[in-house]
Amino acid sequence: MEGFIAVLAALPLTLIVTAGAFGIGMIGGIPLMLGLQSRIGLVRGATRLLVDIIRGIPTIVWLFLLYFGVSFGGMRLESLPAAVIGLGVISSAYLAEIYRGSFQIVPRGQSEAASALGLGNKVTFTWILAPQAFRTAMPSMATFLLALIKDSSIASTIGVAEMVFAATTFARQNPSTAGLVPFFLAAIVYVAISVPLAVVSRRLGTRMMVNA
Amino acid sequence: MDLSLYLPRLGDGLVLSLQLTAISVVLGYALGLVFALGVSSTNKLVRFPTLVVVEIGRGIPALVVLYIVYYGFPAIGILFENVLAAAIGLTFTAAAYSSEMIRAGLQSVPKGQLEAAAALGLHGRTAFGRVIFPQGIRSAIPGLMGLAIQSFQGTSLAYSISVNELMSQSYQVSTITFDYLAVYAITGLMYVAIAVPATWLSMGVEKRLARGYA
Amino acid sequence: MSVPSLTMSTEVPTAGVEISNISKSFGNHLVLDDISMAVTPGSVTALIGPSGSGKSTLLRCVNLLEKPDRGTITVGSQTIEAGSRVSDRDLLALRRQVGMVFQSFNLFPHFTVLRNIAFPQERILGRSREEAEERAMVLLDRVGLREKAGQHPGRCSGGQQQRIAIARALALDPRAMLFDEPTSALDPEVGVEVIAVMRELAETGMTMIVVTHEMQFAREVGDHLVVMADGHIIEEGIPAAVMADPREERTRRFLSAVLDR
Repeated sequence: MEGFIAVLAALPLTLIVTAGAFGIGMIGGIPLMLGLQSRIGLVRGATRLLVDIIRGIPTIVWLFLLYFGVSFGGMRLESLPAAVIGLGVISSAYLAEIYRGSFQIVPRGQSEAASALGLGNKVTFTWILAPQAFRTAMPSMATFLLALIKDSSIASTIGVAEMVFAATTFARQNPSTAGLVPFFLAAIVYVAISVPLAVVSRRLGTRMMVNA
Repeated sequence: MDLSLYLPRLGDGLVLSLQLTAISVVLGYALGLVFALGVSSTNKLVRFPTLVVVEIGRGIPALVVLYIVYYGFPAIGILFENVLAAAIGLTFTAAAYSSEMIRAGLQSVPKGQLEAAAALGLHGRTAFGRVIFPQGIRSAIPGLMGLAIQSFQGTSLAYSISVNELMSQSYQVSTITFDYLAVYAITGLMYVAIAVPATWLSMGVEKRLARGYA
Repeated sequence: MSVPSLTMSTEVPTAGVEISNISKSFGNHLVLDDISMAVTPGSVTALIGPSGSGKSTLLRCVNLLEKPDRGTITVGSQTIEAGSRVSDRDLLALRRQVGMVFQSFNLFPHFTVLRNIAFPQERILGRSREEAEERAMVLLDRVGLREKAGQHPGRCSGGQQQRIAIARALALDPRAMLFDEPTSALDPEVGVEVIAVMRELAETGMTMIVVTHEMQFAREVGDHLVVMADGHIIEEGIPAAVMADPREERTRRFLSAVLDR
């Protein structure tokens, strides 16, 4: 019971890391997506390389790089911002790919119709293409969010006191009694947040098909 | 400080990372196939427990799986040396994820294929082994290749149970040289040097497979 | 019988369309080879020909959805020369004068029917929301779909969607309308509804260019028939006359193929 409270008390930090990173990724993914779709070959190639490099570096390396390696005038990043930024950068790259995929699914006729009506590029993008792409992206975004919740556990390696950190600490403080228990407790909480999210995302997916 | 002095050490780490990847992918996918068949079983006593194991493997963070194997099992009297613990944990995670991909692949084979096989007089094991499985695994290949790349990146988590793979070596080198930024940047690029070409390769394979069915 | 005015606004007169020496290639393939064609204000031109003849491409050149390699397009008093750099302002000004209806309707699925018709008016003509929606309701009434205003296009049949698409284009007070096989994606019995709306529109004096396989429509509503093949206009004239007695063997073959269907 004690262990359960210790793990549960760390849940808010897990959620903060996840939500912060997802928020950064949702916004950061937009310029990267635009770069991936650019008509200028050089911009497209450079963005492609950047996205692949971001995704090619393991999460833990990103976090150590930011936490230990980056300093502003002698001031190092704290562990929480380092974790949020690191996971946020990675999320940007993954969400950019998701956005790009959903923009490609929007039928060509949509932008043609907008052009034929005389709507400008910006209006077409903002009001016609983006809302449709966003809807098709939502199930994939939910799947990514599920993965991100689990990846937020890696923040424990740079000392963010989220759930896995709390479980490890508890296990270390009670070596004789704890055993597997704190980790299973953490596991249960992960499953408990993931299942409703998965159900919601599946429902989003089917509702979208009806409305399409 | 001359970092090139430490490159061989990082190289050793990379070799261990690749070995862990190979083990967890080969054993993990084999186990994943077993899980996939279990989940597809018509027998509830087989299907339900397998489904629970798979969902646990997919539902909890890989890091927690490693902690359970390394720190948790000793509490119930099972002790693993750290490299073995990492191999077991990563294999289990790979198995859980791959089983879903394999199952989806097998399911994507049209029902008519099995009926056609039956009509030709092929039954049971032959029909599955020669007709369903080759087609199903084919459509699962791009996903499985992507998962292999993720597994490679996932070996970096073994750092947390002190396995001397690339991430651990890099951490140790950084505490000697104090040149954190450079060391982690080099480490990151070493992962990139494997992961990015592998990603491009898998995209190429995906395109070729797609063309083959046109 | 008095025909209700589909265009309603009286201050926007319909315009003629003139296509002069238009050529267009996709890669090495010459799709349009030096085409010239004049459409007088208020007339209906039917554009027919086998698939791949270039008729849709020609239509799409009129509002510059396809950029011709050579030639000029004139709508009303505005002329655009191919090859020269067309400013966004000129491009939008041209498109503002020309409405277009597509084979696949291309309604915006995330907007209600009413928003589909009102939104472009607000953005392009700067109408207020009330004004735009009022106009949209009038047009929906005219195409017989007032009750669909609050629904999403996904809930409407193909024929209904196409009528809504026509209303959406008309809401911008175009001076000419382009139709790219407007009934090809529809079952014949549904296509009739769309044809009826187009017929009515023609009677109001709208300039129309219609790419179509509907020979009856071409004969009864068309003032002019243009037959295309392999990027050329092979024959043109008064629809009934061309259909009754085609000069060209290729026209004869095409007509007998479509009429047999």
